[in-house]
Amino acid sequence: MILRLLVDPPAPAAWNMAVDEAMLTLGNDPTLRLYSWAPYAVSLGYFQRAADFADLPAGTTIVRRLTGGGAIHHGDELTFSLALDATLLPPSVAESYVLLHDAVVGTLAELGIPSERVAAGHGQSPRPADRWCFASAGRDDLITPRGKLLGSAQRRIQQPRPRVLHHGSLVLQRPSLTPFVAAIADARHTDALLPELRTRLATNLARALELELVPGELTAAERALAAHLQVARYENPAFVQLR
Amino acid sequence: MRPTDRQYLKSHEWCKIENGIATIGISDHAVSHLSDLVFLDLPAKGASVTIGESFGEIESVKAVSSLYSPVTGEVVDTNKELPDNLEWLGQDAFAKSWMIKVKVSSKSPDLIDSKAYDAHCQAEG
Repeated sequence: MILRLLVDPPAPAAWNMAVDEAMLTLGNDPTLRLYSWAPYAVSLGYFQRAADFADLPAGTTIVRRLTGGGAIHHGDELTFSLALDATLLPPSVAESYVLLHDAVVGTLAELGIPSERVAAGHGQSPRPADRWCFASAGRDDLITPRGKLLGSAQRRIQQPRPRVLHHGSLVLQRPSLTPFVAAIADARHTDALLPELRTRLATNLARALELELVPGELTAAERALAAHLQVARYENPAFVQLR
Repeated sequence: MRPTDRQYLKSHEWCKIENGIATIGISDHAVSHLSDLVFLDLPAKGASVTIGESFGEIESVKAVSSLYSPVTGEVVDTNKELPDNLEWLGQDAFAKSWMIKVKVSSKSPDLIDSKAYDAHCQAEG
């Protein structure tokens, strides 16, 4: 079975989220998408309250994710999304994070960037007190001595069949609104690193999932649904203000 | 052993219908796979639910999961204490952790008995 690989140019937040939802809803082949954000934006976790972010600088682009967790300031980062049938992942959410995060740790190690997965029993309490995803690391999160390096979250659906959307934000340079995060730049210059990081990350995730990596594109149906969702949901103030 | 007095969906919701009212929750199997639960969103009294469509969402530390209705009907009660006491789900998913009660118009043909559901959970892992 293949893992369809999409490598997309920087795009607006609403488009990025819309494409990921379209992949989750319509995708057949498991898909790994690598992308980034232009302009930089803040994404809220699905259950977060918009009012808690009223203090962000005027003009900040804000989008609500389908996935859970805390808010992320998406600046200079490599974002990846995985949309696949739940049967391709271990049965429990926790085990799926171990699988995927170990692939990221391995990727970073190949590039001389030390990181580790937080061991069980050493994480934060279940309901984080801080609004930012990277403010503290929970069980199985990816950390360096500087702090949390990878922000991850999932959305799980059962209809039309059990499927998972997994989001990962791998920080290259520390974003302005979240100066407490760890960044790859702490260990390596990132300018020329991105192509190799993408290649190794894609290869290692495919290997972890036991799938064959194959470059691909969105289908026409996915693209059309994404275009609809971009406007109807992710650019819609009602969705940002959902809570 | 899971309660035999109700039916289950393969998406891990349980449904107990008495006198035309369905009491709905999620199973211990679902709870065990989600781990640390942090948020729960349930419909308000008076809302409509539809077979196969999401009636709410639950977030664990690591994932937001949709909850699917095994019946079509009108919500007549919601367990208002549950969102602030999500640890109840880990203690007993089948009694005090009920989520909604629905006046049933129709029920899903996909509902299965406890024996079939146990087998499904075993196969799923």
